[in-house]
Amino acid sequence: MPRLQTAEQVKRFQERCKSSLDEFPLVVSLCHGTACCAIGAKELAEAFEEALGGDKSVKFIKSGCHGFCEVGPLVVVRPLDVVYQRVKSDDVPEIVERSLKKGEVIDRLLYHPGDNGNVFAKEDEIPFYAKQSKVVLALNSHIDPYSIDDYLAYGGYGALSRALLEMTPDAVLKEISDAKLRGRGGGGFDAGRKWKNCREAPGERRHIICNADEGDPGAFMDESILEGNPHSVIEGMVIGAWAIGGDDGFIYIRNEYPRALKAFSNALKQAHEYGFLGENILGSGLDFDIKISRGGGAFVCGESSALFRSLEGMVGEPRAKYIHSVERGYHEEPTNLNNVETWANVPHIISRGAKWFRGIGTEDSPGTKVFSLVGKVENTGLIEVPMGITLREIVFDIGGGIKGGKAFKAVQTGGPSGGCLPASSLDLPVDFDVLTQAGSMMGSGGMIVMDEDTCVVDVAKYFTDFLLEESCGKCLPCREGLMHMSRILHRITEGKGKPEDMDRLARFGDAIAVSALCGLGVSAPNPVLSSIRYFEDEYLAHINEHRCPGRVCRALISYHVDPARCTGCGACEKVCPVEAIQPVPDEKRKDGLLREIDVAVCEKCSACKEVCPEDAIVVESPAVTTEHCRKNVTEMR
Amino acid sequence: MEETSEKLLKLTIDGIETEAREGETILQVAERLLIDIPTLCHWKFVKPYGACRICTVEVEVHGKTRMVPACTYNVRDGIVVQTRSEEVIKHRKMLLELMLARHSQVDVVRKLAHEYGVDTTRFEEMPSEQCINCGLCVRVCAEVVGANALTFVKRGTERYVSTPFEGESETCIACGACAYVCPTGHIKVEDIRGRKYVVSELALGPTTPIHIPFAAAIPGIPVIDAQSCIHMQTGGCGICSKVCEPDAIDYEMQDTFEEMEVGSIILATGFKTFDPARAEQYGYGRLDNVITSLEFEHMSHASGVTGGALVKEDGTEPKSVAILHCIGSRDKNFNEYCSRVCCMYSLKMAHLIREKIPDADIYELYIDMRCPGSGYEEFYNRLLEEGVHFIRGKGVEVSSAPTLATAERAEGKKLYVRCEDTLLGVPRELPVDMVILSVGLEPTADAEEIARVFKITSKADGFFMEKHPKLAPVDTLSDGIFIAGCAQGPKDIPDSVAQGAAAAAAAMSLIDAGEVALEPITSVVDEEVCTGCKTCMVVCPFGAISYDEEKHISVINDVLCKACGCCVAACPSGAITQRGFDDAQIEAELAALLMS
Repeated sequence: MPRLQTAEQVKRFQERCKSSLDEFPLVVSLCHGTACCAIGAKELAEAFEEALGGDKSVKFIKSGCHGFCEVGPLVVVRPLDVVYQRVKSDDVPEIVERSLKKGEVIDRLLYHPGDNGNVFAKEDEIPFYAKQSKVVLALNSHIDPYSIDDYLAYGGYGALSRALLEMTPDAVLKEISDAKLRGRGGGGFDAGRKWKNCREAPGERRHIICNADEGDPGAFMDESILEGNPHSVIEGMVIGAWAIGGDDGFIYIRNEYPRALKAFSNALKQAHEYGFLGENILGSGLDFDIKISRGGGAFVCGESSALFRSLEGMVGEPRAKYIHSVERGYHEEPTNLNNVETWANVPHIISRGAKWFRGIGTEDSPGTKVFSLVGKVENTGLIEVPMGITLREIVFDIGGGIKGGKAFKAVQTGGPSGGCLPASSLDLPVDFDVLTQAGSMMGSGGMIVMDEDTCVVDVAKYFTDFLLEESCGKCLPCREGLMHMSRILHRITEGKGKPEDMDRLARFGDAIAVSALCGLGVSAPNPVLSSIRYFEDEYLAHINEHRCPGRVCRALISYHVDPARCTGCGACEKVCPVEAIQPVPDEKRKDGLLREIDVAVCEKCSACKEVCPEDAIVVESPAVTTEHCRKNVTEMR
Repeated sequence: MEETSEKLLKLTIDGIETEAREGETILQVAERLLIDIPTLCHWKFVKPYGACRICTVEVEVHGKTRMVPACTYNVRDGIVVQTRSEEVIKHRKMLLELMLARHSQVDVVRKLAHEYGVDTTRFEEMPSEQCINCGLCVRVCAEVVGANALTFVKRGTERYVSTPFEGESETCIACGACAYVCPTGHIKVEDIRGRKYVVSELALGPTTPIHIPFAAAIPGIPVIDAQSCIHMQTGGCGICSKVCEPDAIDYEMQDTFEEMEVGSIILATGFKTFDPARAEQYGYGRLDNVITSLEFEHMSHASGVTGGALVKEDGTEPKSVAILHCIGSRDKNFNEYCSRVCCMYSLKMAHLIREKIPDADIYELYIDMRCPGSGYEEFYNRLLEEGVHFIRGKGVEVSSAPTLATAERAEGKKLYVRCEDTLLGVPRELPVDMVILSVGLEPTADAEEIARVFKITSKADGFFMEKHPKLAPVDTLSDGIFIAGCAQGPKDIPDSVAQGAAAAAAAMSLIDAGEVALEPITSVVDEEVCTGCKTCMVVCPFGAISYDEEKHISVINDVLCKACGCCVAACPSGAITQRGFDDAQIEAELAALLMS
């Protein structure tokens, strides 16, 4: 493959790729993302390959994440355009036989939420997808991430060709500035301004870096982009290098993403072969290459200055950032760092224009944002929504509401450094500034939904402990302050909270936020401060009443059998690991004797609650003593 | 200031309007204005780090107020800084409370907290840890020393300082810089592999790589010890040159040799003290609190390391001291001669101890008291009256536990000095807190080499030999070379001074005369016969024979020749004769004698 040299060559090659793709009358796109692979997509791929047996009329794609992880593994059949969900290897022959050969829709495999008889066949009909507007994830279900030809067939590298051969670096800068693209990594800093500052910073060499050290618990946006469409990131970075005058590029991928690493390495190789990387790219005179650097598993290395130290081979520790990294970053030289999603947006802005981009989202936060929607929501998965969409639309329309019809309690946005927003915030439009004002933040796009059975104190404790674990320990407030906050939270969840703890948490939290050295430390108290702001009563219930409203904190709850519902089946007695469940003599039920739980022995593991077919195990908070329990049982009788 | 092209930034700090250079931090500006901002992780010779946050100040930029650490925040134009506003104080108090929770016993933290009125903490207290994770040691080792022998291990609350991979550091040069910068005293330097290191605990040796050799040194200028100087070893540091305002530090300076032409030379090369480690029975270097008389001098000196206080290794005052005379002197195993000065200086030491610790038990263990000289015997008598115990009998052994059944017992950890009290005729063992070894005087280590260079002779004990003990006590056999002081043999200060004056007078008279009276009988080389074999040059003890490169013959300097006749006897070709003593003359004399 000779390296492409002119815009004309790129255009012709794109057309060739497209026509060779069009030769296939049928397409089967199997979601081969991490989540689907974990539940059988790999076996499914083998089954498809076997069943298709080299059928020249079918293009079989092992694509990146389609998004709707809740009902994976997913298969899309085109041009029928049907989405099959929860597909098993056994279903493959039927799909090949009926859908591919005869063009029939297999109703059994369609998405049918609930028992109301609703069935959705096409992607845009499914409520989960209907409210999304995909830009960076648009190609995920259409292309094979290991094939640059697929990417080219969909116009890939067209933006690069346009930027390098038809636009000056200043024109590219202007386009990005006009688009008001804001960094998707969390800070929401104006990318155009950052690029411009980096370009103008004094220095011999400039570095272009992609931050793929996505470490938030429950977040997998960047991973899915790298796995599903790695070329879009490369294209964005090369355009960035052109605009900024970058001399070399790095991508800092966390080591926990081996699949993303593999896909990206392959994409780099291909881009090289085609002449989109290396010397004299597309004959424009731009020499640019991207090196891969793997992170070692420290959350703090996602912070820019720590990331630079890690890239340099030092311990990943942040340093004071009163001098911006665009002036002194990697090796103290001008450096432009953006995250995966930001880079992936760049080609779209160049090919479709700033005006188009500004047409999506809100005035100050244009474009779309990818979120990983997880937690107690019916439809978990990866979503891409226009900025300005409300939390309610995300949670209830796209997410399908709370699992099991329970009540919504809160949604945590922005990962561990973000905050907990209550039901009253559900109608807030999601953009960088609104979320920050509400005491949370956009972050990189993790969104964890909590239902009424979630304890916000427990959640705040979880995130505080996570950050404490990940704190580099350099500055005093973060290292010591977080530890003390964690201790107080542990005390509260153990029922040993004191009235003055509330005031202390708030004060300590403020002190850390004001004085910590880096972004991790400054935002570390967010989960606690935001949950105190919105759920103070829950904290007070823990402290004053020894009651956990979410009935989660083990020290404050007790398990009991509801005699009214118990049928005496004995399932609970069998699973109890500590033999805390005993039959009550003389209380004969349908299949046996009524059971009761000895609170003194019970370990609160919840095993009984999970197996009980009648939902007869109830959790009480504050914890009730055995005598009390006996009395209750007697009263109930 | 206006000449410089540098842009000056205007700022207001605590109401004072001032200017700063681009890149200067608030802390630097504050230091210049003598505004005190507390710091724990800052040292001006390492890069700002911003870990302790104690230096937090309030900064107003474009109308917005924020808290920033003064050490890392670069001044911007037009900022207004408050270093002691209510907010700042409140903030520092909170941070100090945080510190107190984990470092309640660390002096520097406690003191600073106390200054801010923080004596207790609302945070849960933990067992006090000495290291406050300020990172100064790690940074000084990396940035100043350049050895990179220290690093942080783990992260978060588990973070601590150690060597890379927790092993013995290969790159550590034992310079002690880490211990020096450590604000809490957590780092101690320990000599584990016989590496050279410099600390000043009870330092009876050099204290720092850069030091004035001794208090009375002339000129009183510091020198750099190349062996322990960090810059000489790693090329790093260089702090002394940064702080030296007159710019007087010169790392390139080397030892130089200078040649001078002189008419006469006085050798006053002195002595060295006997090394008591050679006499193992005294436990020097093995037992704590066994010191030499010179170390005692160092300690009792008012400008010495302890400021003149007499202390044991553990820092407490000794309550009983034994002074052992004749260590290395009057001893068949070492030096048979008497070192002359020890009796008197031992009496002086006893007197000093009595003065500083009036209730101390002081023992002088002597063979004989030798106190000749003006006022010396009177001094001895005075000491007797001061209640010093004089025991006639040489101390023979010092041990950490009693060895004799008759040993006097005492409470606590003691040193036991064994001796025979020859006046009472009983063996004794004295329990004492400290033993001072009155070491004798020996020729310097290079005395032999000096004697060879100057063509003078030495006595059996190694000291230089005078020409005649009574008639020429400062002359040597080499004309123009004189000796004075302990180079000639042990003597005290008055004697040394007297001899020095005598030597100077002798040298001056030689110079003053302007001419030298030659020996009437000197050797002479027959130029015709000399083969230029240089045998004579080797045997000449006075260096009087040189070689004429042009003529290829030996030439005798008549001024230096002492007519000893060695060359005459050694010359294989018979080319050298002595004036008035040639073969014919001697034979004629013999013949005349025999004939008569």
